[in-house]
Amino acid sequence: MNMDELERALLELPLEEPPAGLRASILLATAYRPQPAFSFLEIVTLGTLGAVALWLIVLLVSGGGSLFVHTLGAISSVLSRTLSNAATLAWLAAGAATALWLTVFTGSQPLATAAHRSARRDSR
Amino acid sequence: MSALLAEAPRPGVRAQPEDGDLVAMTLRGNSEAFATLVERYDRAVYHLAYRTLHDVEEARDATQEAFFKAFRSLRTFKPGSKFSTWIFAITYHACCDRLNRRKRYASEELPERADTAPGPEQRVIALDEASRLRAAIDSLPEKYRTVVTLFHLQGRQYEEIANVLGVPMGTVKTHLFRAKEQLRRLLTATEVTES
Repeated sequence: MNMDELERALLELPLEEPPAGLRASILLATAYRPQPAFSFLEIVTLGTLGAVALWLIVLLVSGGGSLFVHTLGAISSVLSRTLSNAATLAWLAAGAATALWLTVFTGSQPLATAAHRSARRDSR
Repeated sequence: MSALLAEAPRPGVRAQPEDGDLVAMTLRGNSEAFATLVERYDRAVYHLAYRTLHDVEEARDATQEAFFKAFRSLRTFKPGSKFSTWIFAITYHACCDRLNRRKRYASEELPERADTAPGPEQRVIALDEASRLRAAIDSLPEKYRTVVTLFHLQGRQYEEIANVLGVPMGTVKTHLFRAKEQLRRLLTATEVTES
């Protein structure tokens, strides 16, 4: 056998046959991987809302209407006092601006993932 | 991919999208595009893994691992570069990791085990031509075997082979020359023995 014959034989050598089901298992682990029903952000939001709802129910059951109204009043007064403070508002604005800047200009994962997810939904 | 994997366009058949377009489509959320890439390359990737690892199960795992890694890091794929080179490089590194683990394990757990397997010439005898060539390739040292396998998959594109292996093109040419020389000697020897 000379070099040319060997080279030809090498190039014509049939590829190894992959085991059955390999392609399916690759696709199931990659492209057709089932999407989770809820994203992390959705789970956090739902969990928070659920906890608040539970807390309100406990308040209503244990203390009756007056305790509920009193607690709501306390919360709203704390919120209004906090948000009327210029220094607090300035710090909040600075924090939000920094978070936005980091997310947009450093290609942070959460926004990119969200955009990717919404694009996938649109394509379906 | 050269001779083996590239399909010539046939009249009346819709042109297949390029690999780069499929990557871009996958990044836009099109799952079918990645499925097409898997269909195009799973056999070649498995072939490379099997020829490197010599074990069906490990080759299967390495193939899955390579596609999984590729899918996860698809954003790092440079537009304009060849997908085949990229996926082969990922596969090759996955195989190297497995070979290193295997060597470590062998040196820890199986010291000084005598190799009772038949020698390369005995293995090559009494097989059909393709099987004989495969057996001869398998009997090559690892570095030569990988170069020959990539030559099989990529054709005469030495630069692509060098990119996959991360070595200079000159090294690829040298390894390939020596590998072919060994193969030729081995196959000629078995032809003589047979006749």
